[in-house]
Amino acid sequence: MGKFEWLKKGALIFLVLLLALAFTSILTVIAQQKQTVEQAKEEPKLVGSNLGLPGKLGEAISKAPAGKGRGQIDLDAPKGAFGIPGGPDFNYLLAIVWAVWVGWIFSTVGAFGGIMAGVGHMTVFGLGDYARSFRDTAPALNKTLTDSVRTSNQFLVGLSSLISTINYLKQKRLAWPLGIALAIGSIAGAVFIPMLTGGRISFRQYQGWFGLFVFVVGAFLFYELTPKGAAKKKAAKAAAQAFEKSVKEKADLTAQGVTLKKFGITKSTFTFFGSDFDFNPIWAFVGGVVIAAISSFLGVGGGFLYVPYLTSLVGAPMFVVAGTSAMAVLLSMLTSIASYITVAKAGMDWGLIGVELIGIFIGSMIGPRTQKYIPDKWLKIIFIVLALYVGIRYFSAGFFGKSWVP
Amino acid sequence: MNTYDWIDSVLICLYRITGNALLDYYLGTFLLAFIAVVVGELTISLVFRINKDHLDRLNAKVEKMSRLSQNALCQGDKESYKACNKEGNEAFGRLFFNKFGFAAASLWPIFLALAWMQERFNQIGLPLPWVKWEINYFVFFMLCYIAARISFGRLKRKLPYFRAVHELLLTYEQKSLRSEAMTNEKGASAPPAKPPP
Repeated sequence: MGKFEWLKKGALIFLVLLLALAFTSILTVIAQQKQTVEQAKEEPKLVGSNLGLPGKLGEAISKAPAGKGRGQIDLDAPKGAFGIPGGPDFNYLLAIVWAVWVGWIFSTVGAFGGIMAGVGHMTVFGLGDYARSFRDTAPALNKTLTDSVRTSNQFLVGLSSLISTINYLKQKRLAWPLGIALAIGSIAGAVFIPMLTGGRISFRQYQGWFGLFVFVVGAFLFYELTPKGAAKKKAAKAAAQAFEKSVKEKADLTAQGVTLKKFGITKSTFTFFGSDFDFNPIWAFVGGVVIAAISSFLGVGGGFLYVPYLTSLVGAPMFVVAGTSAMAVLLSMLTSIASYITVAKAGMDWGLIGVELIGIFIGSMIGPRTQKYIPDKWLKIIFIVLALYVGIRYFSAGFFGKSWVP
Repeated sequence: MNTYDWIDSVLICLYRITGNALLDYYLGTFLLAFIAVVVGELTISLVFRINKDHLDRLNAKVEKMSRLSQNALCQGDKESYKACNKEGNEAFGRLFFNKFGFAAASLWPIFLALAWMQERFNQIGLPLPWVKWEINYFVFFMLCYIAARISFGRLKRKLPYFRAVHELLLTYEQKSLRSEAMTNEKGASAPPAKPPP
């Protein structure tokens, strides 16, 4: 009976994986059908006006060639994404379905949802292919559209921390000295990257770096499945369970909450339940800058980078790490989004974000109900395979100009 | 008439109440923001009711690991502290991403409202007094949304469905805060412990 149970679960996992890959391929084909047009044969004239579109998007449009070919603005076509005539016409039903998938991932595994949201923006909805089409004909438009994709990714990731931060603020679970150092660094990173890279990164470059990041996430997930990685997790779990059995509820506990004991630029100390935790505010600041810079550049990554950083930097208790990291993610993402919109003047398609959020909250209601049928280990295997596929595809397309996988 | 045209014809009525263009813009945007708040509250209450048990389990694990790591700290047991902290951080990660459903359920109407306003009011800038700046539809809508949220926060305790949801959320929050307080009370009355080596 046990053997058949294993086979049933394996078949279910395989089916989910096959469906996910087929799903991605089908949706990509549907979204990109309208992109196939003939190349123009003669030198086209420029659009010459911003077509009522704001900021850098309008400026880039005015300098783009007008025409019906690839990499041209078809002035006679109806408005598509970002209000651009001839732009990808979002299939909102497709967007909701993909977002349900993203919401499902958020509520089962967690971090990988941001990556799938990015894949949706870049590949499934056709934005990536559209941005790429302007690489040679209108490089400024290519880069502005890349900024819009990056900003769209960040809305979805940044909003994930809003509710958590409010709750932790209410419960007073933030280590303020550590939080402030981290927050200042996060804001600095989130302002610096849009200023430095806004309007300067081509879609190919962005796609290549995104693919590399997805590889790293996949490698991390893979490590957790190796005997060494699994052994570490198992040992931690066993130790926690053993301690739980041994501890009595009326154990010695000292003064409550987090108290700043000493503040210095290179060494600060806070106490928590009678124990001292030292940290270097400069390192907290630097960590905030680096993590916020990565997540601002890619549009993903803040959510799961802060916690291990705080744990390794300070060895801080999770009572404190949880709220502090949620606040850092929220501040860095809000700052980054505001910077991309005001400094880099990235255009936004609000309707797409709204529709995606509908799909995400639907997916987040489905996830808990399906979780009992798919073990964690197999979920991780599914996402490792997806991470490998997405990572290879984006890395090769971005840095080598051609995807190594279909 | 397609769906967008129908929605447009309904929403623009909010901007034709007084007949004064500027007043109608202020009032219409506030009403639009208020509708976004109400719809968001409806959908977040739906997600809360459906996911409550799952979130309770995740919260319970996070709180349990938090308490255990605090215990280990006070007993000076460094290895157990690290183990419980690690388990707790992992549980927190799941809870963090699960709460995204709440944020999505509450905030999606904002973006659809902004999409509509972008089509209708993209070119309108409201001049600010004493400075040469103008605020666009996005900034003005967000200001109205904050005001609408505060107003609705006071009103919802008197509205039938929302009153029940508010009481449910209040009980939920008080339960979380009570379990925190119990952990802290034990701490306040116990003798000091040795820090971990």
